Order: sequence, then C-alpha cells, then structure tokens
Amino acid sequence: MSAVVRPGPAGVETRPAAVDPGPAAGSPGDRSGARPGTFAGPAWDLRTYDPLVTTLGPLPVVVFVFTTRDLLTPALIAAAALAVVLVMVRPPGRVLAALLLGLPLLAVVMTVSFGVLTDPHTVDGTTLVASVGPFELWSGALVTGLATSLRTVALLLLVLVGGLSTTGADVVRAMVQQLRVPYRIGYAALAALRFVPRFGHELEVIRSAHRVRGVDHGRGPLAGLRRQAGYAVPLLAGGIRHGERVSLAMEARGFGAHPARTERVRIPFRARDVVFLVATYAVPATIVLVVVPALARSAG
Amino acid sequence: MSGDRAAARSPLLAVRGVSIRHHEHDDDPAHDDPAHDGAADDRSRGATAPTPCDVTFDVGPGEAVLLLGPSGCGKSTLALATNGLVPHVVGADLDGTVHVRGRSTADHDTPDLSRDVAMVFQDPDAQVVTGTLLDEVCFGPENLFAPVDDVLARAEDALRRVGLWDRRADDPVTLSGGGRQRLAIACALALGSPLLVLDEPTANLDPAGTEEVYAVLREVVSTGDRAVLLVEHDLDAAVSLVDRVVVLDAAGRLVLDGTTRDVLAGRADLLADLGVWLPTATLAALRLRDAGVGIDTSGGLPLTPAELAALLDAVAVLPDHGQPDVPPTTRDAGRAGGPTLVVEHLTFRRGRGRGATTVLHDVSLAVAPGELVAVVGSNGAGKTTLAQLAAGVLRAPRGSLDGSVRVAGLDPTRTDPRELAGHVGFVFQNPEHQLVTSRVDDELALGLRVRGVPDDEVEARVEDVLRRFGLTHLRDRHPFLLSGGQKRRLSVGTAIICRPDVLVLDEPTYGQDRERAAELLDLLTALHREGTAVVVVSHDMQLVAEHATRVVALAGGRVVADGTPSAVLADDAVLSACGLRVPALARATRGLVRHPAWRGVTRLVDLPVAAVARVPA
Repeated sequence: MSAVVRPGPAGVETRPAAVDPGPAAGSPGDRSGARPGTFAGPAWDLRTYDPLVTTLGPLPVVVFVFTTRDLLTPALIAAAALAVVLVMVRPPGRVLAALLLGLPLLAVVMTVSFGVLTDPHTVDGTTLVASVGPFELWSGALVTGLATSLRTVALLLLVLVGGLSTTGADVVRAMVQQLRVPYRIGYAALAALRFVPRFGHELEVIRSAHRVRGVDHGRGPLAGLRRQAGYAVPLLAGGIRHGERVSLAMEARGFGAHPARTERVRIPFRARDVVFLVATYAVPATIVLVVVPALARSAG
Repeated sequence: MSGDRAAARSPLLAVRGVSIRHHEHDDDPAHDDPAHDGAADDRSRGATAPTPCDVTFDVGPGEAVLLLGPSGCGKSTLALATNGLVPHVVGADLDGTVHVRGRSTADHDTPDLSRDVAMVFQDPDAQVVTGTLLDEVCFGPENLFAPVDDVLARAEDALRRVGLWDRRADDPVTLSGGGRQRLAIACALALGSPLLVLDEPTANLDPAGTEEVYAVLREVVSTGDRAVLLVEHDLDAAVSLVDRVVVLDAAGRLVLDGTTRDVLAGRADLLADLGVWLPTATLAALRLRDAGVGIDTSGGLPLTPAELAALLDAVAVLPDHGQPDVPPTTRDAGRAGGPTLVVEHLTFRRGRGRGATTVLHDVSLAVAPGELVAVVGSNGAGKTTLAQLAAGVLRAPRGSLDGSVRVAGLDPTRTDPRELAGHVGFVFQNPEHQLVTSRVDDELALGLRVRGVPDDEVEARVEDVLRRFGLTHLRDRHPFLLSGGQKRRLSVGTAIICRPDVLVLDEPTYGQDRERAAELLDLLTALHREGTAVVVVSHDMQLVAEHATRVVALAGGRVVADGTPSAVLADDAVLSACGLRVPALARATRGLVRHPAWRGVTRLVDLPVAAVARVPA
C-alpha cells in the first residue's frame, strides 16, 4: 500500500521480472519469453533450462580451457559461449554493452600486460615490438599474453552462460531436488549469501567511523594489516550477531521441522536439458578435434 | 475483548513457574540486544539471579497480552521461551514449564513448535532469508511441509492482510523498515499458528513505520483468530491494542496480571515505582493530580491522549503551565560568540550522470554553543547525510557538493580528520563501529593521544569521563564485552573527551528502550547546558519534544521547519510532510476546547510540579 521504497544497504541483486507462480499468476512474463521460477517457455530461452545444466555443465570445459596453450581453441570456445549468451540468454542492454565492449578491452589490456611480464628468454627468435624504459615488448611475448587473455575471456563467458540465465535460489533448489543436497545446507547457504551486501555496507561505515576517531596506523604494509584487523573485530562481532538473529528467525519459522520441505518450484529435467548438455561437450570437442586441426592444416 | 472466551477454554500458552538463568558467557542475542540490557545487567552480569524469576501466566485463544517490565527484567528472554528458542537454541537454564497447546517446549524443538507459535523479532533486517516477498512468506509453510496449493493460498492471504500482495515480486530490501516488519508479520501469519509473539517489533522503526505495523497488528487482533503476546516499550502505541497486561519487576518476578485498564490506570503509582514506563497520558495525569490540579480521576487515570484531553476539558480552570520552551541557553548563545556550526545553502548529490539523486537541497542551518538541535524527518529525508557532512564523516566527492559547511571556522570536508576530531565529535548509530582498541580506558585515551595531549592530562581527562559515564569499574574490559547501554555511553565518551565544540549523534536512541534513551538524552542535556552544541538525528518525537531546544525538520532533502519544539511539533503540515507523528502529550493538549493557553504544551516538564518518578529530564 504505502510502503516507502528505500534503497537497500548496497547494490543488491534484484530479480528482473515478476516471479509469480501463485494463484493470481497470469502475466505472460518479460520479453525473454520465460517466466522465471516456472521454467516454462520457448526452447531458445536458456532461463527455462535446468540451472545445474547451465551452471555446472560447462565446468569441465572451463577446466579444459585452462590447459590449452594455443590461440584458436580458447578463441573459438569463447565465440561459441558468446553466441549462446547472445541467442539464448539475450541479456539486457547494459549487460550486453559490458560484454561486447568490456570483454575486448579486458583482452587487450591483459594481452599487453601479460606480454610485458613474460620472460623474454622464452620467446627467443621473435621481434621487439616496443620498449618503454626497462620494459620490452616482444612479439612472441605478445602472443603468449594474447593466449592467456583469450583463455580468461573464454572462461568468463562459459561461467556467464549459467550466471546470466539463472539465480542462486534456483541453483540451490536444483541441488536440493536433483543432487539430493540436504536442504538445511542449501537454504542456510542461500540465507548467508544475503549477508554479503550487508557486510559491504557495514565495512564502509566502520571505515568512516575509524577515520573520524582519527586512528592512524601509520604507513606501509604492516600498518595496512593492522588497519584491516581493526575493521575485522567490529565486522565479525556484527556478523556473528546478525547470523545468530537470522538463524533464530529461521528456526522460529519452522526451518528444520521435517526431513524434507515443500518444493514450490519443481525444476524439470527435460529433453532440452539433455540436448544442451550434450552440445556443451560436443561443440568444444568438435572445435578441438576437427575445426582447429583443419584450420591449422589450411594455414600450414 | 475476548477474555471471557479465553476463560472458557484451555490456555493456548501456559507458563508455569518459569525462571531462566543465562549461561555465563552471555553472548546470546536476547541479552546482547541493546534494547534488552543496560543498567539492569550492569548489576546482573555475573550474578546468578535468574530473570525472569518464577513467572506464571496464561494466554488464551484470541487474547492480546502485553508483557511489560523495566529493562533487564527478562521479558524478551521469556518471549523466546514461548517457542523453545530458550533453552534449545539460546543457551540458558530453564526451570518451570512452558506449554503451548498442551505441548511442552522441553519435549519439542523450535521448528516443531512453530506451527503453534509464530514469532516476530526486533530487527527487520535479520529476518529476511530469501530474495522476494513471495518466497519469504512461503518459507515458513514450506518448512512445515504444507502442500504447494496450501502454501500459496496462505502466502497470498498473509501478504494481503499486511497490504504487501502487490509487491510480492520485489526484493525485501527495497521495502522500508516498516514494510519489512509488516513482511515479518505476514511470514508469521502464514505459519498459521494460533499464537503470535512479537518482541519489540517497532523498536527499530521510524514513526511512520511504527504506525504501519500497529495498523496491521490492530487488524490481526480485531479479527480475533490469533492470540498475541507483545513485548513493547512504546505504550502509547500498544495501549489501544491489548486486552491484558502482565508486569514483571526489575528482578523478573511477576507483580501484576490484569486487564489493560486495571493494570495501567489502576496501578499506575506502583508501576511508576517499579520503573516501568507508562503511557504519556497516564504520566501526565499522575503529575497533574499530584500537583493538585483538580482533574477528576475517580473514573480511573487516562490511557490515551483523547482521554487526557477529556479530563482536562472537564476542569473549569487550569493553572498556568510551565514556560514554553525558550531555553535560557539559546538566549545566552550570543554571548558565546555566534554559531559554531554553520551550514549554508548546502546541496549534495549522490551518484553521477543520470543516476544522480539530490539528497540535500539548499539546506541552511546554524547551531550555537549550548543548543540541542534535533534533526527530524522520515527515513530517506537526508538527516544522516546532513549530519555526516557536518561532522566530516562523509567526504563529498568533487563536484557533488554546493554551498558550505563550517565547524568552528573549519571546512569539515577538507580538514585533516585528527584536527577536526578536536572540534566535532560524531557518534554512530551502532557504537561498535567506532570502537577501535581493546580496553575501555584506551578507547577514551585514543582521541587525546593521537592529538598529542600530554600523558598526565590524558589520564586526568580519562578518569573524569569514566566517572561521569559510570564506567570506572569497567576500565580494563574489552569494549565489545560491555552491554549495549555501556557501549553507547562509551561511544559518546570517546566523542566528547576531546571537548569538541559540536557533538553530532546519528539516531542515538535507535534500538534502545525508553529508559536507556532517556538516560542518554539526560547526558546530552547536561552537555549542551555546559556549552557544547549538540545535534541529534532522531525520530523519537516525545524525546525530541522533551529535550531539544530547537527542531529542524527535513523532508525530501529540504528544511521544511526550523524552530522551537512546540512550534514545529504543533504544525500538522510539517509533521505530515515529514512522515512524523504529533508527540502523545501534544495530541492531548492541542485539541483542548476550554483551555487555549494549554494548547502549546508538548513537554511533561512544562506541566505543573516536578515530583513524579520516571519523568525524563
């Protein structure tokens, strides 16, 4: 009715669209076509997929990308992941801008800085591209840097496939329902996640409180440590008390009354999930076993 | 209203001879809450006397019962015992028995008992578990393993009852404090339990939030399908809600159990002696009666402002009331050489680009030595921002600030914090935030040492503050091991030991009971009388009315009123613009028909005579 909207303690995750599986449900959902929380919607929409398939599924690929050393493999896998995000997640404008402008920028910065840091002896036989003061940038080092930055970008995009298409709550639900994780652990972890923005805000207040007291621990790394320790005590004291209160509130609301609890949202595992999971491994495998050798042959 | 119905059936809640002794380490939330401890545990800490002690009472179906007692009497602990949190979760020894619908809390754990007892706690932030209102309300019924359709039906019903159904998809953090507490009530209702226990549900809320919560509670009580056990200090709000009052004394023993009117009006003298707060109207009537003002209390003392007004209007002639609040200190201000805190045309923006919001619009304000200025307004009105800018806590990024702030001639946003600390002290809402050492006396000495004050003077000043704030016997304690009231006193002590010209306090009464709050404001009154300029951000209207020499009201980042408490608090347009309420006494006097001269009376101290116990200041 007249509840005044007050900004939370800090930027806090808000779910974008109406979560409404209730009796009065009826809104056809947002432009993405899916109604979050119901997992009903067109097959192109990754939000309708099993959250475990989209978040845990790509993890073996992430591990594999770590082990690559060439340029092509991470580049192609990154491109595939980006395609999935663009077509199947269709993120809002700001996220899209961050992806399409931010990631290339990150890649360039990392390429150059890793290139500078690479030991020049390992790249004998390449040419010197530039030198500023004591820093020398060799073309071979630049290639190494590019490979590293491509791996990082690929890794980020693979994680974003799940990260942009589901919520923490749904991942926990899926873990409880499908992986048989005890709900007490799952939901307690979920409640604990909500502490994070609160702690960020609290830390900010403690910092300014200490500054007002005129506390100065001096300069240097040791003083920095002392300063952090000074923040830790009030932060922990507040955190522990908050945690205790939340756990009292949870128990008072019946948390742990039964070995199982009602799952209001059933997370389906359907044909589309199987297809996506198979594709998650088939596409990188094809890239590694077919596309990259073919390109290498045609280049060679 | 439902007393006879209750008598006919077996009690819903049966408390029999309950004594609770906390475990030695005392780190449980019930005792740790600033609202629940203070002076009382100054003496009980380490002592072995149980609080509550041998308490027996019942709550019948549909009854609304208020549990009352001075701080430290164990009423919150008793509330936690109704659903087994004491002793199952919060470590304590419980003697006696608590039965809920015939089930003993000793044999059933808290989650199991939640189908019979639902609980609402003090801190709205510490009760949110999930990411949307709907998930939040469903959380309880889901834990009780209710079928999905039932869960959703209960959630919808509960959210509609508290008026939040339209916001079911929102994140709870986007609600106001009052909104989150209404959500907590909805969560309790959704459990479907016949008893609702509320432990100081409005202690952390502003007046608008308190109003919202009481509107919801009134609806719940009037429906009559739930019994309510309420622990609350704000009697002016609670008195209209409850059928019965159970009173504990400072030792945690039950002293009274009867209908609201019998207890609060009939035994008001006894309650005042016990150190239990009374409704403002009752306090005022006691005071008037003792002063020999001929109010007719044969029909009982008044409980509400309206009843007090009726009593006053029944009297033909009222004596002159005390001086309206033109405090002597304000008149002396000129002598001290003009204002020490000057804010001129201050405009402050937060964020940048399109997302920027203007938090303060063209705010001007001057505070002279010896003034106690209360900055009031609803949440989000810019009170804290103004206070933080004035004290140099908030360092404004370049370009975000127009206008100027001067404290003792210095610009607090540019001055070195150490130098500034000698001129302006700031006390944060949570005292723990600004405690940085491991001993109470070191904590006090810190501000002096960093400013290079000689050792012998540091020692003398520390002794002085320890004594004044009643902390001498705790000097070697770790500040975090103090009680809430003690921590608050220490944090004020650290701010004033540098003898600042200006002391700024952000919501110093937040989450504290009225007794602690009154004690703190007495301390501030002493300070401002000695010549310190004190600025208090607060929304406790009766305390503001009693103590402030001036009130500055903010709404939407603008100053909408600046004047004496009686002038500002009598202005309906200002109060409604600020989302504030008229203090209880002013509500009684403003509508007087026969005594226009009394319409401006807002403070108990302005009433004739000063011989009643428990009156602050």
